Amino acid sequence: MTDAPLPLALRPARRLPRRIAGRGGLALGLVLLGGFALLAFGGSLLPLPPPERIDLLARLAAPSGAHPLGTDHLGRDVLARLVGAVPVSLGAALATIAAILSIALPWGLTAALAGGRVDALLMRLADIVMAFPTLVLALAVIGFMGASLEASIIGVAAAWWPSNARMVRALVLSARQRDFVRAARLAGASRARVLLRHVLPQILPPLAVIVSLEMASVLLVLSSLSFLGIGAQPPTPEWGAMLNEARPHFARAPHMLLVPGLAVTLAVLAFNLAGEGLRDLLDQREPYRW
Amino acid sequence: MTRFLFWRVLTAVPTLFGMSLIAFFIVSLAPGDPVLQELRAMGSVPSPADVAALRAEYGLDKPVILRYAAWLGRAVRGEFGTSIASGRSVLAEISIHLPATLMLAASALAGAITISLALGVAAVSADRGVAAVLRTLTVVVVSVPSFWLALLLIYVFVMQLGWARLVGDGTPGDLVLPAITLSLASGAALGRMVRERIRAEMCEDHARLAIAKGLSPARILLHHIAPRIIGPLATAWANTLGGLLGGAVIVESIFGWPGLGQLILQAIAQRDFPVIQAYLVFMGLGYFATSLLADVTVILTDPQLRREVGHD
Repeated sequence: MTDAPLPLALRPARRLPRRIAGRGGLALGLVLLGGFALLAFGGSLLPLPPPERIDLLARLAAPSGAHPLGTDHLGRDVLARLVGAVPVSLGAALATIAAILSIALPWGLTAALAGGRVDALLMRLADIVMAFPTLVLALAVIGFMGASLEASIIGVAAAWWPSNARMVRALVLSARQRDFVRAARLAGASRARVLLRHVLPQILPPLAVIVSLEMASVLLVLSSLSFLGIGAQPPTPEWGAMLNEARPHFARAPHMLLVPGLAVTLAVLAFNLAGEGLRDLLDQREPYRW
Repeated sequence: MTRFLFWRVLTAVPTLFGMSLIAFFIVSLAPGDPVLQELRAMGSVPSPADVAALRAEYGLDKPVILRYAAWLGRAVRGEFGTSIASGRSVLAEISIHLPATLMLAASALAGAITISLALGVAAVSADRGVAAVLRTLTVVVVSVPSFWLALLLIYVFVMQLGWARLVGDGTPGDLVLPAITLSLASGAALGRMVRERIRAEMCEDHARLAIAKGLSPARILLHHIAPRIIGPLATAWANTLGGLLGGAVIVESIFGWPGLGQLILQAIAQRDFPVIQAYLVFMGLGYFATSLLADVTVILTDPQLRREVGHD
């Protein structure tokens, strides 16, 4: 928009609801994330039975006072397993994102800063990995390593990093185009100083958006793999794995089906809301209306 | 155009070569001996002589580079060996399962495109309140895991209402639920992108000029914005098809749809390496073909690029 920004009172009223709606989503996302973090660290303090305790006399019990969310096919408390799965599911997603970034950041930075042949070579290598659909390559890596939660983390990270490396490269390239970065260069600032003080601060906010949205997708993929039985292995409590265990019984015990899926959805939703809210906060463009 | 296609395919050769390297080495360097596994599966106690004989039969006794060269030579001619698990030729296994997956992915892609265009256009042109509702709906649908959605759909439509059945003979009627499951999430994700793209174009001066000329919203969308976003969207559709082929693994396994997803899950469980290799190669090739198609679309829809390609 080319007009000078209007004082808040003069702005068209229709803008306000959207701004609040956008922040509302962000707020909801952050609250949900906070809740999950609390459960992850404080879940063991709750008065729940251990998630692995088997009670064969209470198999597939419907929700009751003793078991608020019922029990599974081995009589384990579903609520306890649900809470016990928070650190496993979220921890796995965090580990995956950390692995992805530890490859993608240096890769994209090097490509963008070195330019020329190095850039072409690095991007071509990334293209080769990107030529496979993500889940397909992750499946192959799991086929290579044998099914386990660690294998699925490595598989997803191995298939996922190239797209992020490309994004980092694009971010750095556009950040380097800014006039003040050139000015710093011309003023004789060292390469490291330009990178750390002028380029990195520019790419961190969009990177935060990307990381948040990618967390959501990674969480989905990891729980899908556990659901397929090639991620987290029993008896580890994990949401996808819980759903996999619920499959044969879901005619008799639909409660086993409902809550783990809801938990995955809420966690993914939290990261999506936080990511989109952050993006809206950073995006100052305003489209022309017809 | 022929020139462009030629160069595009030529520059893809290193990529395809690298892809074949990944497909071969990821599998052949894997721990776990497929020969021992097969012998155990047949219930025999393997003697070292048997093992050596079988290793020679599968060519596993040669150095890995020679094996790669031989494998690549055969793969180019479409020979991927025999499945260790079923004893049938890998190509036969793939050609049995491929049509079902292609049918599922194609119908899911068609569904996703329809949903995304409807969602994206509605989110941009509706008033603020409706747009906010649509955005919320989009975020929620994107966040629902497809395997859970599939189970819920089965619970409602198969077990409670009895409108659909859960078998895997691959008739079009059985395609409805899996296709809906697959297309909802990717449709919502694409819809988010359609909205982003339209919004970005609406910030440009040419959109402002079109509005100032008093053109109707439909005309602006179809004649001023659609030609500028169709290229990026085509690329996104190609990527989505890749995602759908992968995502099909989950949905196929839930609905018992007899496609490639079932095949690869079995192959992973049984460490059936020739099948895994062939699956990787076919997926890579399919993905390459769709992104080539997307690139051509980008060029055909961008007048500047079209002129450039036409001239040289």
